[in-house]
Amino acid sequence: MDSFAANRRFAQDIGVTFPLLSDWHRTVVKDYGLLDEKSGYSARATFVIDKEGIIKHIEEGRTAIDPTGAYQACNVFEHKKS
Amino acid sequence: MIRKALCLFALLVAACGTSFAQQAPKTQLKVGQVAPDFTLNDTEGKPVKLSDFRGKKNVVLAFYVLAFTGG
Repeated sequence: MDSFAANRRFAQDIGVTFPLLSDWHRTVVKDYGLLDEKSGYSARATFVIDKEGIIKHIEEGRTAIDPTGAYQACNVFEHKKS
Repeated sequence: MIRKALCLFALLVAACGTSFAQQAPKTQLKVGQVAPDFTLNDTEGKPVKLSDFRGKKNVVLAFYVLAFTGG
């Protein structure tokens, strides 16, 4: 499990410009259905959430690391605004 | 031209362990549902609450387990 302090070093190393959060107690991966309780392992996933807190896009599994799907979902917001 | 993904506020949640070799768990959440609220600490130890962005910014929430490895 990555502590916020370990994440801070990681964030410095890669220069992130957004909040890097630590789910130390695995509560959020559990709430989002990504935790395998038997093994204690969890899955990668990306959620795009609009300003009203509604889930607009979900990317799971191996493709979750690819930002293409989330990027396309974000573009939908831009088009709706204009 | 740089896209205005600036409206988006990306959060990255680093947790441990992934199970790509076997069946990874699938979320029960669906598009159209309200995202479960949470509060987690950022790299400075400050709490970040998802619902604090309500009405302000869209959010990209990336669960990136095993962030320190190539896994």
